[in-house]
Amino acid sequence: MAASVLLACGLNEQKLPGFVHISEESNVDGSFLISCILGQRLRISNAGTLLVCLQHHYQHYFNAGMRLGYNTNIFLDKTLNVIDVLSDMARHGLSSKWLRSPDGLTLTEQLVKDIRNQLANNFPNRSSYTILIDNLSILFNLGASKQQVQQFCLDLADLAKEHDNLTVITKLSNSDIHQLTDNNVAKLGHVRIQVLRLKSGVFREVDGRLLIERVLDEGSYACEQSRKEVLYKVNDRNVKIFNPGEIGVKV
Amino acid sequence: MTSFRKRTVQKPIRGTRTSPHTAQVITSSGNPSLDLILGGGLPIGSICLIEEDRFMTHAKVLVKYFLAEGVLSKQEIFLGSLDDLPAEMLRRLPKPLTDEEVEQEQRQEQEQPADKNGLRIAFRYSDLPLVNSEQATAKIGHHFNLMEHMEPMMLSYAQATIWDDNNKANIVVQEDDICNSTSSLEPTAAASGDEAAPVVQLEAQSTASNNNNNNNNNNNDNATTDSSTANNATSTAATTAASANESASATATASPPAAQPHFFYNPRYGRLLDYLQLLLNDESFEPGTNVQQKNLCRVCLTSLGSPLWYDEHFAEDLLKFLTILRASVRSCTAVCFITMPMHLIAKYETSLVPKIRQLVDYAIELESFAGSERETHPAFKEYSGLLHLHKMSAINTLAVHMPETTDLAFKLRRKKFVIEKLHLPPELQETSDQAAAADMMALPNCSANMPVNSNVSMDF
Repeated sequence: MAASVLLACGLNEQKLPGFVHISEESNVDGSFLISCILGQRLRISNAGTLLVCLQHHYQHYFNAGMRLGYNTNIFLDKTLNVIDVLSDMARHGLSSKWLRSPDGLTLTEQLVKDIRNQLANNFPNRSSYTILIDNLSILFNLGASKQQVQQFCLDLADLAKEHDNLTVITKLSNSDIHQLTDNNVAKLGHVRIQVLRLKSGVFREVDGRLLIERVLDEGSYACEQSRKEVLYKVNDRNVKIFNPGEIGVKV
Repeated sequence: MTSFRKRTVQKPIRGTRTSPHTAQVITSSGNPSLDLILGGGLPIGSICLIEEDRFMTHAKVLVKYFLAEGVLSKQEIFLGSLDDLPAEMLRRLPKPLTDEEVEQEQRQEQEQPADKNGLRIAFRYSDLPLVNSEQATAKIGHHFNLMEHMEPMMLSYAQATIWDDNNKANIVVQEDDICNSTSSLEPTAAASGDEAAPVVQLEAQSTASNNNNNNNNNNNDNATTDSSTANNATSTAATTAASANESASATATASPPAAQPHFFYNPRYGRLLDYLQLLLNDESFEPGTNVQQKNLCRVCLTSLGSPLWYDEHFAEDLLKFLTILRASVRSCTAVCFITMPMHLIAKYETSLVPKIRQLVDYAIELESFAGSERETHPAFKEYSGLLHLHKMSAINTLAVHMPETTDLAFKLRRKKFVIEKLHLPPELQETSDQAAAADMMALPNCSANMPVNSNVSMDF
């Protein structure tokens, strides 16, 4: 279902890098990556996952997961925990804690606090833990400044350093607009996946490109880095990966 | 204990059906050709953004279709606008066609001679079926006649709530409070003005509405009077208005705009959201519940982000508003239809356009030929404008439905608004040779999303 895309991104292993950042260009939808990663993490026994829903509701991930062949509801409140910011905002309106900041905390500070609480409750019982955040640009929309988002990501990166077997995966939409933040956040980790549109326009058999950058060895003087580019097509029940040149226009 | 369980089949909501492609519950946008492009209709919980044409002619037509479909399907309607008179818009909804009229219309279209343009087809092609560039109309939604207005009797059954933010003087003063700028309006107007939420009125006479815009202090009283003096045609609607008014004042006391400082710099957004959430939090719009009176809410906001919404923090407020609106619409059985003057917003701040598009599920631009060189261009003489699909996102599913082609054009016929595949005439006249050829090269094609100065090779 999603094995090929995870293999291409190097995220198919049990132990993932500490910090992974997904950049999504304008007019491109990279939500399928979150669903693919979520499915992979849930299938590992005793691996905990925390999903922070900022762009889509939990229901979206449930439905997308069903298409990919896994049922998130089975894992909910067991190995899967959810911070559904959107649902909370819908339920409480403008008096939601994410909009009001009742404790004097900013939105990002509140989020870090909740993530830490979840981590404190669940991490000790799990062999590994993954925090998925979809997506950071919503924080900008809700009034967070660049510094606050940067600090938020720094806090998350610190969490990943503090704990073994903890992975933080962030996604940022409109990366071409928030370029500075995007680059700064990507620098916090060793893996960066860029979801890019096709430069040559719209093609029925390919949706876009994935550019995977991985830091292999960050030495004192030089940084060894690998770059891989693949094409992807999101189908109804799977995601297909093509190498550049593999697919052509059929006449 | 037996493993037998009685299967409870949930009744579908009025005017919705399950899409065979995505297994999602969808509802018609009111226009069959638009439905087809969207994959059968709008999924429940989605937001469709129509980027207005310059003269706001065609976007309004689509809005009318959307609202008329809601009236006919007996769904709840929320219509909000600062630029237009919502009550007037509701009154001018198109008349639905009966099944016989639809059949007759289709028959007439089929009977049209193939050589109507004076073109002769080679005999070997004469037996082939005609290529119908108009997107095939599946049996979804209703058909409407734009030439005639919906009967008042039919409108009287509409469950509609409208918002036009009548206490505009209050807003100006509140804005001034926040922005600390001077105002020509007397501050006493704000002090004495009601703190109540915006007025909902369904019986809106155009003159009365204009007066209401000026007379701001007696909004609630006026609304009640207006509602009570409503004629028979809008009696049901008036009841809805009255109840909405009551509940609105309840909201205002619970969380008046003054109690929410600085979340929105422009308090209009807060008021609109308060109203909207009050409506959407109704039990009948809760997803998953097996309530007998389960219904769908059609939220329609026209000309959102127009200059009437401008202030110093316009961009910030608009993005916040859309984020919360998206959260609200996703959490209940509702669909949202927004029109925005994107060409003006792009001039205000270019980066705002992709940010807005990211917050909606469908972004459709209507590029009208009116007032442009293309209006008289022989290649486009059949069409009123081009339709650009900027965004179609997958909601509650993995893959997004893509239409057969993205090269689309629309035409506003006498009775209906039609979206067709863009077809160029077989041969342009010789008089418009080079200029036409140059323009033809600039036509939208599969590389419509390419950067203008991109000289890169193909990706595959």
